Amino acid sequence: MELFEEKTDKCVVVGISGRLDTTNYSVLEKRLMDLIDNRHDRIMVECSRMDYVSSSGLRILLMALKKISLAKGKFVLCGLQENIREIFEISGFTSIFEIYHDKEEAYKVF
Amino acid sequence: MRFRFPQFKFIRGLAFRYSLFFLVAIMIILFFPLVIGYGFSSILLLEKAKNEATILTKQTVAQFENVLQPTELVPQTLVQAMENPNISYAEVLRIARDFIIHDPYVFGTCLAFEPYLFNRDQYWYAPYAFEKNGKLQIRVLGSGEYDYFKMDWYRLPKLLNKPVWTEPYYDEGGGDTLMCTYSTPIYRKINGQRTFTGVLTMDVSLSGFAHIVNSINIFKTGYGFLVSRQGKIITSPKTVMNNLNIIDLAIAGRGIKTQIAIRQMLKGKSEIKDMDGIESKKNPSFLSFAPVSNTGWSFGIVFPKEELFDDLYTFLKFMSWMFGISILVLLVTTIFITRRMTRPIVRLVETTHKIGQGDFNAKLPIRKSRDEVAQLTRAFGVMQDELRSYIHNLEETTTAKEKIESELQVAHNIQMGMLPRGFKTPENWDLFATLDPAKAVGGDLYDFFYLDDDHLCIAIGDVAGKGVPASLFMMVTRTLLRAKATAKLPLNQLMSSLNDELCKENPNEMFVTFFAGIVDLTSGVMEFCNAGHNYPYILHENGKLDQLKIRNGLPLGIFANSTYTTTTYSFNPCEILVMTTDGITDALNMANNFFGEAHLASFLTSLAKKDTKSLTELLIAEVKRFSTGTEQADDITILALQYKDLLRKTNQPMQTYHLTLLNQVTELESLEAKIEELAELWQIPAKVVMEINLVLEELFTNMVFYGYNDHEPHLIKIEFHFIDEHQIQLRLEDDGKPFNLLEKNTGNVIDQPLSERQIGGLGIHFVKEMMNKIEYQRLGNNNIILLTKIF
Repeated sequence: MELFEEKTDKCVVVGISGRLDTTNYSVLEKRLMDLIDNRHDRIMVECSRMDYVSSSGLRILLMALKKISLAKGKFVLCGLQENIREIFEISGFTSIFEIYHDKEEAYKVF
Repeated sequence: MRFRFPQFKFIRGLAFRYSLFFLVAIMIILFFPLVIGYGFSSILLLEKAKNEATILTKQTVAQFENVLQPTELVPQTLVQAMENPNISYAEVLRIARDFIIHDPYVFGTCLAFEPYLFNRDQYWYAPYAFEKNGKLQIRVLGSGEYDYFKMDWYRLPKLLNKPVWTEPYYDEGGGDTLMCTYSTPIYRKINGQRTFTGVLTMDVSLSGFAHIVNSINIFKTGYGFLVSRQGKIITSPKTVMNNLNIIDLAIAGRGIKTQIAIRQMLKGKSEIKDMDGIESKKNPSFLSFAPVSNTGWSFGIVFPKEELFDDLYTFLKFMSWMFGISILVLLVTTIFITRRMTRPIVRLVETTHKIGQGDFNAKLPIRKSRDEVAQLTRAFGVMQDELRSYIHNLEETTTAKEKIESELQVAHNIQMGMLPRGFKTPENWDLFATLDPAKAVGGDLYDFFYLDDDHLCIAIGDVAGKGVPASLFMMVTRTLLRAKATAKLPLNQLMSSLNDELCKENPNEMFVTFFAGIVDLTSGVMEFCNAGHNYPYILHENGKLDQLKIRNGLPLGIFANSTYTTTTYSFNPCEILVMTTDGITDALNMANNFFGEAHLASFLTSLAKKDTKSLTELLIAEVKRFSTGTEQADDITILALQYKDLLRKTNQPMQTYHLTLLNQVTELESLEAKIEELAELWQIPAKVVMEINLVLEELFTNMVFYGYNDHEPHLIKIEFHFIDEHQIQLRLEDDGKPFNLLEKNTGNVIDQPLSERQIGGLGIHFVKEMMNKIEYQRLGNNNIILLTKIF
């Protein structure tokens, strides 16, 4: 898994590429927690290059959502591949997360 | 009913057969004398007939000679007298005339002279006197038409200088009748010299001889005939023969025998000859013949051979009829006699049939005599009495026996009713038991029941002895087991307590070998106690057979206060526990051989992979087959319990790959690599690959984080089964804490609001959502999960 970070005036965009699973979820966890701890409460996670996620990865996303919600910030996902979207649906995350089709669409909500 | 042939009964009977036998014997005995008698008779008849014919021939010849003698004698005397010149011719002629008048056969006489001898003027002079119509007439013979010098009757005596009988001839000039002439030469002294002067003839009518010949009567068609020296037939009753020559007849194809006979006859022989026939060609006959002296004639008698035997044949025909009638009379008589003799036997047979049909009071025929049949009848009577009393006794005992048997049947029903069957076991256990009693009630027992949801109690036992006492003891044992089991005592205490109870009230010193086990249905562990019972078998899936050779105490009911231990056995998947009683090993066959432990063991080996029901039934069938023809001596009881491996697939995968991982998260990379490798190999769609990846990761990490109480390294085994291009199975096996993911309720995981939302349970939720089938089994100390993905 590789992470990309892009700070704009509206939000911080975190891009995930490759597999997000039990072996590497802690990398994502540290990055996101660092951002939140540094008062970045407007975060967009761009997933167009993420081709696998397990419940360990989902747990990090859920954790980040909960924290940002408490701080009245905004945490959105975008660009989910079809397979990943199905996993989100199975897990019921589509009703919890704000998920947009792509980066441009997501920008509009900030 | 038996089919009978009443119309042939007589023929098959003794009477007929004996009669037939006698008749055949008599016919054989009589046949030889009859044939010999016939032969003798023929010979005698032939001799007699020949003699008769010869005598008749000679008598007839003598008759001819009697007639001819005076005919020869008178002219001879007269001619003698004429040698004297003093005797005148007239005188001679007068005497000759007198003779012909008196003699019935001679009808004419003639004195014929040499030319000019009687009268110088007369060439011919022959005064001829003859009888015609009873009157004497005189005529002088000799003229140009009737030149007697050329006649035989004149010429021959002159030439031969002696009297001559002429051949028969028909003289129209003289007598106008068929005749013979006896012609005697006359000599006188003329000029001192004895000179032939003429002949004196006597004409004999042959009609007189015909009368004699025709009167010959021998057999039916036998006849006589007279022939001259030349063979001319002088007279014969056969008109076809008259005026013919016998030689012509004989030559005209009558056969050599006839020719020989005729030749002999004409030579003047006196004989009897065998020949082929004279007047017809094929009429084998005898010819008897003899010469008539001086005349050169011969007389013959002919009679056909077959007529000779006519009487014999008639006699024989008569005898045959008599013989036949006698045989028939004999047949009827013998049949009558033998039937009379066998009638009592027939009656006895009828009575026996009645007795055979159950009528023991059937009356036997009464016989007063002391012959063999009477003895047989009396013996039958005795047998009938004994049979009657025997049947009576049998009826009584049968009634009593039936009563006992019906009660025993009830006891059997009660006993069998006590034995549990149709048992509901958990899915992964299979249990079957059967008891086949030797007699209506038996001393074997088996039992199984739940102690609680997780614990099954199984038991098998064999009471020493058989029949009602054993069955009562068995029922007591079984009732006590159930009663004591409710107290939930440890097994060894349960056994001790059972033993003590059985020892208490046991006046007959009965005991029972007993095996009891308590099976933990979840873990597959069995605690058991073998109190002197046969060692149970453990049959492995591959046919390997083990025996639990452990004794935990004495059989129950022997000593009170005996102590019992227990042993633990942990079932492996697919193993079958087979418990039997010695009714199997002690079963005997016709040759008095035991079924035996070795036979049982080898047969059990062949039953691997069977379920408990078919195993039990096949084993019973094998014992029955072995002991065919013998009575079952002991109860046969079998209890079989199998620990099943439910997850073993019935449809074999085409390919299987194994992967063994340590319980460390870092192993996930190997798992991922393996999945990628197989995905490519088996051409699995990307989405399915991801799902498999996800599910396996969830389950694996779950085990790594929560599966173990310790911190030791453990192995997690994963099998990938490629069933077909649309189906894959995943099998995970670990030795961690029991974890049945099917029991985890994940239904509400996704419905929680964000604040309540837990990440735990999401992985299991994925498994349930993404896999088509999930199976779980706790096998021994292992968790086994079988997942099926269809795509």
